[in-house]
Amino acid sequence: MTTVAVHSVPDSSLFLPDLRLKRKESVLHEMACAAQRVRAVRDAEFLHETLLRRERWCPSAIGKGVAVPNARSLGVTEPRLILARAPRGVDWGAADGAAVHLVLLVLSPSEVGVEAHLERVMRATAITRSQRNRQKLLDAADAATVTLLLRELAT
Amino acid sequence: MSDTTILELHDLDLLLAEARHPATVAKLRKLGFEPSDPAPLERVRARLLAAVERRWVQHYVRALQRYGRGVVGMRERVCQGCFVTLPTSASPGVGESLTLCQSCGRILYWR
Repeated sequence: MTTVAVHSVPDSSLFLPDLRLKRKESVLHEMACAAQRVRAVRDAEFLHETLLRRERWCPSAIGKGVAVPNARSLGVTEPRLILARAPRGVDWGAADGAAVHLVLLVLSPSEVGVEAHLERVMRATAITRSQRNRQKLLDAADAATVTLLLRELAT
Repeated sequence: MSDTTILELHDLDLLLAEARHPATVAKLRKLGFEPSDPAPLERVRARLLAAVERRWVQHYVRALQRYGRGVVGMRERVCQGCFVTLPTSASPGVGESLTLCQSCGRILYWR
């Protein structure tokens, strides 16, 4: 698996193109670690715990193979959008029973208000609403293409 | 107590604030999420609160009641709650990451 720092809209992002993990807990941990590697997160273990607590209260799978986990946390140093692809699918416990292939992790520092954070989550969910957009994200060859796509889809 | 416990408590309180707010829950449902009963979160909160060192609990609860959150980040010696720049002497000791803001009384997380 490779991690590529991407500068995309609305903030600099991360792209994990080929996750081969089977459990959502492992995927969230890997994404938190990726964020820590670029210093968007101070402590990946701490953020992971926050993500899992949120996941237990409000599962992030929104159906059609997409999950949008998110968190406001003291462990986050700057807003980040992290995209991961899991070609083999991850059992996320989605209501429609579909395995998750696209994960968009939305991270906000704790100072960010709930409205602003949910606005970022809303943008992430909106991007993946259409089958066409999801397929584009799944087919994107590299981080640069994902960056362009996110920029295009977010506007 | 490790510093992490009070940070976890803070993050959980942010989450609980969302879970207790009907408009926020409605917004999440509209986005396609299915938030559940927050009662298990309340139990986790009670457990975390019991694990936090007593002196920090008092400061945390006081700041939470007064400002809506008990811990704030510290960036370049500026409290992210009241935005006052603190002196170098206010830095935490070796191996510690928490102090109190001398201006507003919030717990500061140095990062």
